[in-house]
Amino acid sequence: MKKKTLNSTELLDYQPNRYPFLMIDYVSKFEPGKMANGYKNFTNNEWFFPIHFPGHPNVPGALQLEALAQMLTVAITTLPGNKGKIVHAISHVVKFKREIFPGEKLEIETKVLSWKRGICKGIGKGIVSGKVACEAEMTITIPEIFNKFLPKK
Amino acid sequence: MSERLLDKYNKVFIKSFKIKKDKLKKLKYQSITQWDSVGHMSMIGTLEDTFKITFEMDDIIDFSSYEVGKKILKKYKIKV
Repeated sequence: MKKKTLNSTELLDYQPNRYPFLMIDYVSKFEPGKMANGYKNFTNNEWFFPIHFPGHPNVPGALQLEALAQMLTVAITTLPGNKGKIVHAISHVVKFKREIFPGEKLEIETKVLSWKRGICKGIGKGIVSGKVACEAEMTITIPEIFNKFLPKK
Repeated sequence: MSERLLDKYNKVFIKSFKIKKDKLKKLKYQSITQWDSVGHMSMIGTLEDTFKITFEMDDIIDFSSYEVGKKILKKYKIKV
């Protein structure tokens, strides 16, 4: 793949989540099988701000983690043959360091540590105004590939 | 049988699945909760790192028990 960025429409081919659960807006740089970076802008129109929390709106931690995982997914689904495949989470270890408020931009950086037999281990961090807001170690899988390697019971 | 190789082989299972050595002989895929699909792939990866081999796809699928695994390793010239 020669393209190195994915706009909000193009990334839908490599990321199966949709509104209101699509947590990445733009992929600004990616290398298939190695890394994917991009961002998510959080505006006051986000569906979760009125309920998380009234009077103190901020981005739920689970959705910050989801943003990191969705970006890591792009690093894998841009590999030849993986476009459009469903990706599942296996395990995530995450740390939250700063709240993210309406109007802020989450810069997302993810890196693939290993990709083997349908399992991807990777790391990611979310940065707001130059400071790390969240970081995670993630293991995700493409079941369609992974399941081919399992013993038959 | 090399005792040193067998010891290495055993350690992969003991560490991957957090079980005791006396449970190894009867150990099969999905016979314990730890040896599930994810555990399987993790254990296979650890065996590859330990013995510096790369399993063929069919061997990963056939690797259905502790004992079967020993036979499969013979194909890679590792006699445990």
